[in-house]
Amino acid sequence: MENTKWDEGRLKNWASLTFRVGIAISLALVVIGFIILIYISGFKDIQPLVRLEEIPAAIVISIGILLLLLIPMAQVILSTVFFSMSRNRLFIGISVAVLCLSAVSLVMALT
Amino acid sequence: MNDINLWALGGVGLVAGLLGSMLGVGGGILIVPILTLAFHLPIQVAIGSSLVAIVANACTASGIYTKVRLTNIKLGLILETATIPGAIIGGFAAVFIAPSILSALFGLVLIYVAYTMVTRRHFISVDNQPNDHSVAPNNTSDGLSSSLADSYYDRSLDKVVDYKVNRTATGLGTSFFAGFLSSLLGVGGGIINVPVMHLLMGVPMKAAIATSTFIIALTAATGAFIYQYYGNIHPFIIAPLVIGIVIGSRIGVELTQRTRGALLRRIFGAFLFLVAILMFLKTANVI
Repeated sequence: MENTKWDEGRLKNWASLTFRVGIAISLALVVIGFIILIYISGFKDIQPLVRLEEIPAAIVISIGILLLLLIPMAQVILSTVFFSMSRNRLFIGISVAVLCLSAVSLVMALT
Repeated sequence: MNDINLWALGGVGLVAGLLGSMLGVGGGILIVPILTLAFHLPIQVAIGSSLVAIVANACTASGIYTKVRLTNIKLGLILETATIPGAIIGGFAAVFIAPSILSALFGLVLIYVAYTMVTRRHFISVDNQPNDHSVAPNNTSDGLSSSLADSYYDRSLDKVVDYKVNRTATGLGTSFFAGFLSSLLGVGGGIINVPVMHLLMGVPMKAAIATSTFIIALTAATGAFIYQYYGNIHPFIIAPLVIGIVIGSRIGVELTQRTRGALLRRIFGAFLFLVAILMFLKTANVI
């Protein structure tokens, strides 16, 4: 039986917060990395491939990009928790399946 | 790869975000051809970069849509079970398909989007919404229909819109194709998801756009991970694109209220036809 305290409206509030906080943090990191890159390389054209002195900028930007790509996955984890709390078995199964499928690509990217 | 101008890349992101949000098309439809035609980047790098920019755009929009309760999260999760395998397969396929064929496929998608814009068959435009309350559930509801039913408050109608979702199986089939196309070509997939959800599944247009955006975020992220695996994600290309697209889409939302959408859509449609021709010329190694 579903627990109505954990309704979908509440899930949407948390989802919105996750998206907004996630995008703010990841975008901040990308902007900081970009500023470091400009500081190191100046305003001239650059090579897409990272040079040694540009590594700090590349690391900060890459962490920002990784966090950005993890926001939708965090969203699915949040949904799984909510459906677990509301004891909605069908959607626990669906959200876990989505999580597993997207984890395949994440594991590949990190290996 | 050639040297790149970071400010020009930021400008591409800005324009893609601006026009994307004003016209209801994903930024990828602009980013991929510009990166390949103007910046001479390999198409796989352009697609990988586009997918990351799309995630940024979709997450920003989803933050707003879920706050106003437009997103149907349950429906989004169900359709993601199909879009994600599609995105994984599309990401792998892009590595093995010749760049010239990818360019040609992209040209075909451009022609489809341009056609829908010029001929007013713009399913995905926000400012062309039919009366959402007119969408009635039909008799083909399946067992999931009641658990996928949702509602939202429509400010323009000043009423709560209730709806049910039909033909989930059909939606899953087309979602797989949308995920495949998204990852293969670096476009959002909304060009398929939104009309299918609205016209076939009976989801009101506003909810279909919001739910599609929610789906696109995870689908494009999955595709981007596959491109990362093959070394096609470059932080210095993506950083200015992401910054530009987020700023551009914010400005676009504001400008949408003040511009003549129909005229802009036709001009942009004609522009996309031109870009499609350039993509075909690139396929033929003419440019």
